[in-house]
Amino acid sequence: MARKPIGRREFLQKSTKYTAFAAAGAAAPMFLRGNASADAPPDIVVAQGAPGAATKAAVEALGGMGKFVKKGQKVVIKPNMSWADPPESATSTNPEVVRELVSMCLDAGASSVMVLDNALRKVELCLEMSGIQQVCELFPRTSAEIVTKQRFYQDTPIPKGQDLKSTMVMKKVLDADVLIAAPIAKSHGATGVTLGMKGMMGLIFDREVMHYKMDLDTAIVDLCTLLRPQLTVIDAIRILTDGGPGGPGKIITLNKVIASADVVAADAMATELGTWYEKKFKASQVKHIAQAHERGLGNMKVAEQVVKEVTV
Amino acid sequence: MRFQRIVQTLVFALFIFLLWRAAYPLVENLPVDIFLRFDPLISLGVMGAVRRFIPALAWALVLVALTFFLGRLFCGYICPMGATIDFTDRVIRKKKQPGKTNSFEAAGRWRTVKYLFLTGVLGTTLLGVSSLFLFSPLSLITRFYSLVIYPPLMMFSDAALSLFQPLFPRIGLDSLSLAYVETPRFDTNLFVAALAAGIFAMGLIKPRFWCRNLCPAGALYALCSKKPLFRRRVSEDCTACGRCLRACPMAAIGEDFVTTAHTECVVCLKCQEICPENAISFSARGRDRSPVPEFNAGRRAVLTAGAAGVGAAAIAMTSLNYLHAGEAPRALRASTLIRPPGALPEVEFQERCVRCGECMKACLTNTLQPVWFEAGLTGLWSPRVTPRLAACEQKCNVCGHVCPTGAIRPLPLQDKKYAKIGTAAIEKSLCLAWEQNKKCLICDEICPYNAISTQFAPDHTVTVPVIDEDKCNGCGYCEMRCPVTGKSAIRVSPQGELRLAYGSYEEKARELKLIFHAKDSVQDQFILDRNDAGQPSETTGQPPEKRETPPKLPPGFITGGE
Repeated sequence: MARKPIGRREFLQKSTKYTAFAAAGAAAPMFLRGNASADAPPDIVVAQGAPGAATKAAVEALGGMGKFVKKGQKVVIKPNMSWADPPESATSTNPEVVRELVSMCLDAGASSVMVLDNALRKVELCLEMSGIQQVCELFPRTSAEIVTKQRFYQDTPIPKGQDLKSTMVMKKVLDADVLIAAPIAKSHGATGVTLGMKGMMGLIFDREVMHYKMDLDTAIVDLCTLLRPQLTVIDAIRILTDGGPGGPGKIITLNKVIASADVVAADAMATELGTWYEKKFKASQVKHIAQAHERGLGNMKVAEQVVKEVTV
Repeated sequence: MRFQRIVQTLVFALFIFLLWRAAYPLVENLPVDIFLRFDPLISLGVMGAVRRFIPALAWALVLVALTFFLGRLFCGYICPMGATIDFTDRVIRKKKQPGKTNSFEAAGRWRTVKYLFLTGVLGTTLLGVSSLFLFSPLSLITRFYSLVIYPPLMMFSDAALSLFQPLFPRIGLDSLSLAYVETPRFDTNLFVAALAAGIFAMGLIKPRFWCRNLCPAGALYALCSKKPLFRRRVSEDCTACGRCLRACPMAAIGEDFVTTAHTECVVCLKCQEICPENAISFSARGRDRSPVPEFNAGRRAVLTAGAAGVGAAAIAMTSLNYLHAGEAPRALRASTLIRPPGALPEVEFQERCVRCGECMKACLTNTLQPVWFEAGLTGLWSPRVTPRLAACEQKCNVCGHVCPTGAIRPLPLQDKKYAKIGTAAIEKSLCLAWEQNKKCLICDEICPYNAISTQFAPDHTVTVPVIDEDKCNGCGYCEMRCPVTGKSAIRVSPQGELRLAYGSYEEKARELKLIFHAKDSVQDQFILDRNDAGQPSETTGQPPEKRETPPKLPPGFITGGE
C-alpha cells in the first residue's frame, strides 16, 4: 500500500481518520495471507461497514448464526453495558451490534435471548444510556438485564482454574445453551485491553477478588476455562484507545466488527487491529491473551489463521 | 364515610404518592416537596433563621390566611402527621372515646405546651439556629415515612418477588425472572422510628395528643383561628346529650356543649355527624355561643419558653462542633462530613435544612445518609454523602430538586457536574498497588471524571493510582469500589468542596481551574509521554533517567514474546 507521506501536524489534526486507515494498512498483509488459503472456512472475520450491517456480514462469513444457535436454544449475549454513557463514548457496546446479534439469534430459532452484564455504575442509568435496553425491547423473547443481586448468581467450581478455583456465576448464564461475547474494544488500565475474555468478568458476582487476591490475568484465563463463548463478536466501530475502560479517552473510529468462534483469536485480532495509547501492539503483549494461548484456550497467532475481510 | 375522612385520606394518599415519586428520574413539574412547603412552621422558621423572604416557602402563608376563614383546616384535612395519628389512634385506642373528661375546660393545661414549643422554636430562630427538625410535624412525618417506613416496604416487596420468582417463567413472565426491588438503608433509622413511636404512643392518653398539646404548627394555626368565619354552631335543638363532647378528638367543646374553642377545633365534623338532633352545623352563619374560651398559656410561661429556645440555641452554638459551620470551617470539620452537591455554605445550609429526609429518600444511589452529631448539635439528621456505601452519581441531580427549602440548590445537571463535593486521597499503606504491588487499579477504572491515572513508581512492577485533585469531583466511586475490606484505601474528604450560595458552579470551577471534563473532549494524559518529554515524574520527583527500571509500556501491556 503506497501512500504519500504526511506531516506530523496534519497527522495529528486528522488522527482519527488516518489512524483508521493506518490500522487497516498495517493489517492488510495478514488479510492477504488469510485469503490466500483458498475457500477454507475463515477462523476470523473482519467486516467493515455500518455497525448493524458489518455485524451481520461478519457472522454470515463465519457460516451464519445457525452454526452457533440451534432451534429452541437459550442464548446469552454479553456486551459491555456497565457504564452510564451513550454509544459515542465508546464505553459500551454499540446498540446496533447488539440489535443485529439478537435479530440473528431469533432468526436462528433461539427460544430466548438475554443480554446480560453486571454494572459498575447505577443499573438504571447504564441500561438507559447505553441504548441497549431500548434495542432489546423491540424483540420478542428478548431482554437486557443488569444483574447485581447475589440471589441471581450461583457458586460454580472452575476445575481448570489456577488462581480462581470457584466463583459465583449468573444462573442465567449457567442455564444458557449458547454464550456470545459481544464486547466493545477498549483499552484497560490494568490488563492493557479489554475484549471478549476480560468481558467475562461481567458475568460473575465478585470480580474485585480477582484484583486483590490473584494475578488478574491468570484469573481472567481461569474464568474463560469455565465461561468460554461459542461466538465472539467484537465491536470495533469506535474503539477507546486510552482512558479505558471507563473513559473518557481518545476514541478512534475503525468501523469494523470482528467475529470468531475462538475468543482468543478474536481478542488477538482486535488487539492488533487497534491502536492503543498511540502505539501498535502484538497480541502476545497482552498477558491474558498470551496466557490463554499457552493454556490452549485458543489461538492468538493471527498470522497462522484464515482471516476473511469483508466490506459492506 | 365522613367528608373530612374522605378528604384526609385522599390528601394523605397524595402525600405518599409525591413522596414515592421523589426519586430518580423526577417527573417534570411535579412538586414532590409541596407538603413540606405547606407547613407554616417550616415556612416561618426557615425564613426567620435566614432572615429573608423565600418565595418557594410562601405556600404555607396562604394556608395560614385561609385559617382565618376556615379554622384549623390544615390539621384536620391536610397534615399527614394528623392523618397518621388519626390512624394510629384508631388502632391503639380500639375506638375508645376520649371520655367524659373531654371538655375543653377539663382537658387541662397540657394544651398550652404547644404554644411554649412554638415560642421556643421561634426563640432558637432568633439566634439563627433552626430547631424545626425536632418540632415541625411535616419534617417529623416525612422523615418517618422516608427513613423508617419506605425501606422495609421495599425489603418485603423484594422478598415477595423472590419468593414467587421461580414461578414466573412457568406463567409466561420471563421478563420478571431477574427483577428485584432495591432496599435502601439508612443510618439512625431506629431513633427516627423511636421519636415517631413516642408521638404515636401518646395517643393512649388522649386522641391526637400531639396535635392537641404539642404541635407548634398547630399552635400557629390556633392563633389564627380564634373565630374563623366558617365555624361550629349549635342550634336551639341541642338537648345537651353530650355525645359531641365525648367524641371530639381535640377536646374543643365546652362543658355546656355549645361553646366551642375554635383554636382547638380541626373541623373534623365528627360532632356534626354524631349529633342525634342535627343541632350542630359548620357554617358562616348561625348561633355561636361565644366568647370562645380563651387560651391562657401565661405570659411568664411564654417568655420562659422563648428564653429557653434562645438558651438552647446558644448552647448549640457554643458546642465545639458548631465551629466548623462558622468561624473554623476547616479545622473542626469531620472528615467524613461530605455534603450533597449544591449544598449551601454550611451556616445557611443548617439554617435551611429541615431534615425531612426527602433528599435521602430520592437519592438514586442511597449515598445520602442522616448524620448524628458530626455536624454539631444543630446538624442532627442533616444529609451527608457516604461514599463507602455508594457514590454520588454523575448524571443525577435529584437531591437539589426535591429539597423543599433550597438548602441544596436545584442545580441543572450541567452545573451539578461542577459542584465539587470533596476530593479523594489515597492511603498508600492500604492500597493494593502501592503497598502490595498488586495489579488492582479499580479506582482508575471506575473514576467517571478520569481524575485517577495509573503511573509508574519505583520498586513497583505494576502501575499505581495517582489522583489529580483538580479533576476529582469527590463523587466517591473510587472509595465505593475499592476492594480493600473495611476502610477504603482511597477516601473522599470534604477537602476542596465548592459551596456557593448563588451563581454558577461551572464558572467558579473554571475560575479555580478545575477540570471536570466532558467525555470525548479531553485526552488521557499518559505519563509515558510526560516522561518522554523529559519532565520529572510526579511520583518520584526524580528525573526519568534515574528511575529504577521504568517499564516503557502503557499499563497492562507486557514486553511479550513470539
